[in-house]
Amino acid sequence: MAVEILENLKRALMEYDSEAAARWARKAVEVKVDPIKALDALTEAIRQVGDGFARGELWLPDLVGAADAMQAATPVLEEELKRAGAKRQSLGTVVIGTVFGDIHSIGKDMVSTLLIAGGFEVRNLGVNIKAEEFIEAIEKYKADILAMSALLTTTAIEQKKAIDALKEKGIREKVKVMVGGGAITADFAKSIGADGYDPTAPGAVKLARRLVGK
Amino acid sequence: MLRGFTRKFKPLEILTEGQVEEIHQATLDVLWQTGVTFHHQKALKLFANNGCRVDSEEERVHFPPGLAEECLRKVPSSFRFKARDPKNDLLYGGNTVYFGNMPGMQTVDLDTWEPQVPTRKENYDGVTVLDALDNCHFMDAYTPYFGFEDVPEVMKMLESDAAKIRNSTKVQGTGYANDCEVFSIQMSQAVGADLIGRSLPAPPLTYYGDAVEAALRYIEAGFPVQLGVGGIMGETYPATIAGSLVIGNAECIAGIVLTQLVKPGHPNMVDCFTFPANMKTGAPGFGQIGISLLHVVFNQMWRNYGIPIYGNADTPSSSKAIDFQCGYERAVSFTINALSGANSMHIYGGLHGELTYHPIQSILDDDIAGMVGRFLEGVTVSDETIALDLIEQVGPIPGQYLDTAHTRKWWKKEQFVPKAADLLTYPEWMQSGKKSCLDYAKERMEEILATHKVSIPLTTSQEEDIERILNEARKYYRDKGLISDAEWTVYMKTLESPDYPYG
Repeated sequence: MAVEILENLKRALMEYDSEAAARWARKAVEVKVDPIKALDALTEAIRQVGDGFARGELWLPDLVGAADAMQAATPVLEEELKRAGAKRQSLGTVVIGTVFGDIHSIGKDMVSTLLIAGGFEVRNLGVNIKAEEFIEAIEKYKADILAMSALLTTTAIEQKKAIDALKEKGIREKVKVMVGGGAITADFAKSIGADGYDPTAPGAVKLARRLVGK
Repeated sequence: MLRGFTRKFKPLEILTEGQVEEIHQATLDVLWQTGVTFHHQKALKLFANNGCRVDSEEERVHFPPGLAEECLRKVPSSFRFKARDPKNDLLYGGNTVYFGNMPGMQTVDLDTWEPQVPTRKENYDGVTVLDALDNCHFMDAYTPYFGFEDVPEVMKMLESDAAKIRNSTKVQGTGYANDCEVFSIQMSQAVGADLIGRSLPAPPLTYYGDAVEAALRYIEAGFPVQLGVGGIMGETYPATIAGSLVIGNAECIAGIVLTQLVKPGHPNMVDCFTFPANMKTGAPGFGQIGISLLHVVFNQMWRNYGIPIYGNADTPSSSKAIDFQCGYERAVSFTINALSGANSMHIYGGLHGELTYHPIQSILDDDIAGMVGRFLEGVTVSDETIALDLIEQVGPIPGQYLDTAHTRKWWKKEQFVPKAADLLTYPEWMQSGKKSCLDYAKERMEEILATHKVSIPLTTSQEEDIERILNEARKYYRDKGLISDAEWTVYMKTLESPDYPYG
């Protein structure tokens, strides 16, 4: 039964079927499948989608579809995990979002999906995120990395505001900051005091691994 | 059967109905008043017996308009080409558009862009690449290379044909010279495939004996006869597009009358391989816009006659390199020919004129073929594509479509993604080592050569037949004194190579 549920979870993700993914996640909890195994199955599936994307066989809509299915299935499994007092192994926790004033989500979601596929626990806050919202999430999820996206030159400066806010709060040293997005350059990232920048989504995963020393 | 592409909208037409009639009447006038020379006694007799006025001394035939029109009506508007693999059969005619290739006499060095004699292996590899390209539906005569290293002149066509039979299962065409079509026909029959036969008048208004003889042989074998007219505007044809259209059409119709008198209802297709003159060098003006103007009106006339159009002359570029000029000349020319209703087009290869060719050019051309082909398929309008429900469901911002099943289902059908184009973002491009489409095409060529296998390899007995026919041809030309001792020695040595026939 458990094996069948795990297979169905994987299939739902690889068919980008959010409804089925959520349904099989609920079923997993109901019949007491180990939530860690269920989350691992989802991660394995999204890794395969990420690999297909890297090979040029799959495309952005596939990546986003898989991420949506993941997003649909994980809350119920994480709830169960929390209830059981268990913790899942991951390379680290990443809080990610697009900065205030900017509603561009595609690049950020690509990075988010590939980070999950790469073994990170990812808290995707969405778009138009203010500095204080980032800080709240970092504290709540005990994040190792803050990843911020900005597509517009006019909103890039919000990344600096968030970093300054971390300093004011006295938690700048507790979290690594990586930035990206169309408006960002390596020079800009350096100038605002970020720990890293990469222009591509697969590069961002490598960067995150480097930042957490793995 | 290969589906090819379907033109799903009205073709581009630039002549008025009155102009179409004017061109048609002028063509009939040329056929009757001026006439067409046929240097072939049997053909002259046939024409005389069927009501043509024949001047025996000049070997010139004057075609009565009624006969010309009657023969035009007898040509089937569509027909099937049998390929070695039935899944590669072509259904020629209607709104279907197929893409094929052009020859190169030689290969080209990708660094110096100088021409080089291709090796046997390069020729066989060139066929493999074309066999692998999805949008390449057939291969024409003399392709990919017209002969290769150590092959005597008279054996070039046949060695080229044999390579295509061995390394591909797509429909192929052949030419004629020194009776080589006799052996080409035998090779195709040995593997159960049709051949695109051709008969090419010499401009202006002349059919030499070999063109007529070739047509008769293809008709006897049951293979469609393509009538390929080709003059140089201002040199062998009038400088005007209308004049070139009239004279070219008269040459085509003369060939159609020949075909239909020999065998009523036999498939013909017409081909316009005419170029403006390059008035600096006297060479054909490859890649000039005048070619496209002529294609549009040629295609309009022949669609009107209901006779399939074997589009041509849109491929060769004046450029010596695979560069911007080569790209724009081809893209403009392909698009216009496709929009105006050609049933097939020669999209692959043919760098400077027909003088050079390279497989990576074909890989790049495959992307143009995909783009033009996708365009021809037009826009699907249905409840599902209009997507009213989805638009309602997604609404304004923050709604978006990237994560919808509708996007996943439709985006690839609606778009064409080129395989060898540089589509990266700036940073990715820098990281890639600044790769260009040429780099991607090279990578794709290597991948194809490492992985592609012909869908149906020849059986042992088919291979024996091909080699036997080639040997008969070798003996025939050697006995006729058309292969010198020196050529023969070198040639025979290549046949002893352990890699023969592939290298």
